[in-house]
Amino acid sequence: MFYIAIFFQYVAQYMKTRMQYRADLFVEIFSDLLFQAVNLIFILVVFGHTELLGGWTRDEIIFIYGFFLVPYALFSSFFNIWDFNERYIVKGELDRILTRPIHSLFQIVLERMELESLFGAVTGIAVMIYAGNSLGLGITWTDPFLFFLFVIGGMLVYGGIFVLIACISFWADARTSIMPMMYNIGNYGRYPVDIYNSVIRFVLTWVLPFAFVGVYPASYFLGKEEWFLYSFLTPVIGIVFFGISILTWNSGVKRYRGAGN
Amino acid sequence: MNDAITVRNLKKEFKAYSSRSGLKGAFRDLLTRNYKIVPAVNNISFQVKQGEMVGYIGENGAGKSTTIKMLTGILTPTTGEVIVNGMNPHKDREKFVSTIGVVFGQRSQLWWDIAVQESFRLLKKVYKVSDEQYDSHMAHVIRTLDIEPLLDKPVRKLSLGQRMRCELAAALIHNPPLLFLDEPTIGLDVLVKLKIREFLKEINEKYNTTILLTTHDLSDIEALCERVVMLDEGKIIYDGALKSLKEKWGEGKEIEFQFLEDVTLNDLNRITASSEVKWEKDEKEAIFTAFAEDNDELISLLIAKVVADLKVKDINIKETSTEEIIRNIYDRGIS
Repeated sequence: MFYIAIFFQYVAQYMKTRMQYRADLFVEIFSDLLFQAVNLIFILVVFGHTELLGGWTRDEIIFIYGFFLVPYALFSSFFNIWDFNERYIVKGELDRILTRPIHSLFQIVLERMELESLFGAVTGIAVMIYAGNSLGLGITWTDPFLFFLFVIGGMLVYGGIFVLIACISFWADARTSIMPMMYNIGNYGRYPVDIYNSVIRFVLTWVLPFAFVGVYPASYFLGKEEWFLYSFLTPVIGIVFFGISILTWNSGVKRYRGAGN
Repeated sequence: MNDAITVRNLKKEFKAYSSRSGLKGAFRDLLTRNYKIVPAVNNISFQVKQGEMVGYIGENGAGKSTTIKMLTGILTPTTGEVIVNGMNPHKDREKFVSTIGVVFGQRSQLWWDIAVQESFRLLKKVYKVSDEQYDSHMAHVIRTLDIEPLLDKPVRKLSLGQRMRCELAAALIHNPPLLFLDEPTIGLDVLVKLKIREFLKEINEKYNTTILLTTHDLSDIEALCERVVMLDEGKIIYDGALKSLKEKWGEGKEIEFQFLEDVTLNDLNRITASSEVKWEKDEKEAIFTAFAEDNDELISLLIAKVVADLKVKDINIKETSTEEIIRNIYDRGIS
């Protein structure tokens, strides 16, 4: 309860600060939109050359992309830890975090949230509605609940992976360039995994389970029954990965060496 | 009375990598790294009672900050025992930190972009402070530190002195019984320093707040602390009253004379031949300084002799400053 209350306190504070820099806010939302449009155009260009991609139609792939945007928007709103090493370890900001009575990771989530990224979820839903219409998909009463569950699961998968990578900083001194690479790999989850070779598929399912952010959960709504098992694994994988990342984080914080003055 | 801080055989070691020289060395570093274990804090023990103000001093790299970070639960000790406010700081971190206040002089606790009072409001929620508690306590803090006019300004627009006063207030929002200050007066002008010192004294008297203070400015410690703990290379080399440090290590007094007539060192040596005094002359200003043991009778006798023989313009008696004492200890080591 306390954490929820604190969360909304931070959100309110965030909004107040953001309103002061309105121009900034619009530029950011606009650049996000542009980024999403470029990705969409890429899909359209690919399908300008072919009818099917590994047995998937254009609209199905657009639907997956639309779904992917929703958990991804949540992730990028709350897990801005890509610069964790520089900001918190090298500059020693973690010292300050650790002197406050809230879980350290939660504090970083609160401090670094970027709520304007949530706008991406709106785009995502719009894309899904468009693609769903073209595909003639119907909606049942369970769909909104499962959608919610899968989206949270996808966000936790993303969050878990990136928190684990941030944890490397507790053990290794040097900066790593794994973060940007991971953002790239994350994009693979937007496409049907059966178009990749089996090694990549295995990696995207069990090692860096980005497939659970895009294709697996979206398959449920597309009625691809061969993937249903994976669809329902989404929240489980999310909880497992996020749980592991929190445990790693907690033991990493114990090893924190601090920055010199 | 309870101890606010108990530290027993506390040790913190860091692994330090040493790189080999040259390109060949760099390649070898890739495979096997040389590292040595460096103790930053080496087997220290001390206790601080509730309500005490303790100065924690040492040169750069002596282990002050490392100790403070272990006491505040930021770092985990390698070995040894730390009990602060009856808790183990790194175990029950979240519960523990709501019983302490921390000010790092070189790091801001406040949010850069938002107004000071918004920061306070957020911290008030974070520390679960009730409105009544906040109002009664913080009104006093804000008044004493004179930060009322700063409350609606964003932190980035404050000067260092203004920011520091706000930091101090922020650390006290939950009225903690124990306050850690790591170089709180670094880079501040004299007026702000005085204000902060006065405020700390007041807090200490009013709430019996324990204060542990590290600083390079010994005048802070002289003004506030009765007890000092001195650290060198990770070890405690002195722990006791500031006064006895002075008595033990103070090297007598200096008496400066200026004369109305021309005087030479020989004259002075002749006049005071019977007592143990060393004279020195500052050529530029014609000031003669007598170095004598810190002994009231000896000094009054010395002055009497000089005044009887020569016409004196000015006399000035100086004690060895704490700064000098401490410099001497570090230069020569304690023995």
